Amino acid sequence: MSNELNDRLRAALRPVDPGESFTQGVLARIASEPSRETVSPHRAVRMRGLRWLSGALLAVVATGFLVAHQWRAQHAQQGQEARRQVLEALRLTSEKLDLAYRVVKDKERSGA
Amino acid sequence: MNTSVRLLSAALLTGWLAFAPTGFAAAVTPGSLQLPNFDGIASKAVQTVDISLDTSLLGMAAGFMDSSKPDDAAVKEIIAGLKGVYVRSYTFNSDFQYPETDIDSVRKQLSAPGWQRLVAVHNSPDHSNVDIYICMVQGRASGLAIIASHPREFTIVNIVGSVDLQKLHQLQGKFGIPQMQLPDNKAAQNK
Repeated sequence: MSNELNDRLRAALRPVDPGESFTQGVLARIASEPSRETVSPHRAVRMRGLRWLSGALLAVVATGFLVAHQWRAQHAQQGQEARRQVLEALRLTSEKLDLAYRVVKDKERSGA
Repeated sequence: MNTSVRLLSAALLTGWLAFAPTGFAAAVTPGSLQLPNFDGIASKAVQTVDISLDTSLLGMAAGFMDSSKPDDAAVKEIIAGLKGVYVRSYTFNSDFQYPETDIDSVRKQLSAPGWQRLVAVHNSPDHSNVDIYICMVQGRASGLAIIASHPREFTIVNIVGSVDLQKLHQLQGKFGIPQMQLPDNKAAQNK
């Protein structure tokens, strides 16, 4: 009994060649189905656009930082130069006022 | 479309009024002088000081004064009431290298109404002259002009705005400003 069952199982599970038509059928099915990995053309364009946009944004931000830094440096330089000029103008003004005062005083003394 | 054009025109006009007419403003601001172009003299001079500070530059300079420091705070206080500071000063190697006509053109402007001569000093021995003028508008000082000439040097100073000489006096000995012999108001009052 057990031998008979054993034989029947062996017979049922023996390797069987599916045949050429089965292989071709499977290959045809694979070819007809769209691949899950494939990106649609619209999506590819959109992704390329996003990549460009992020690159452009990065460039704009970097340029902005550079321009702001240069503006600040230039502003500081102009401010320091303006400060120096104010002090120079006050120095010259004081010098001339003092010169006039000294001459007037000298004349007063010599007159007295 | 028309609204956009009008808005753009208004913006441009506002921008022009705010920034462009510095020369125009200088011509009409009481206390200001039209200083001649001294480029020809500058090439002969051994030392040149050419300072032109309008309101915006004075504001910028004030921004670089440290209010926590007393000296800086004093300068900031002086320039707060000013609308412009213009200085031309030239020093030469030999005597009388500058044309008197340029100085006379400035003197002529000082004969206009509003300007009063405070001091006229003419020192014969060393040929040094100093004229100090003040521009009064409605009882208030709105400008100061100094013309100082020496055989080898001439200086024109024009300060536009309310000038407080007493505050300037307080700056003596600081920032290279010489020790002035001008009488202190407080000292004069105590006498």
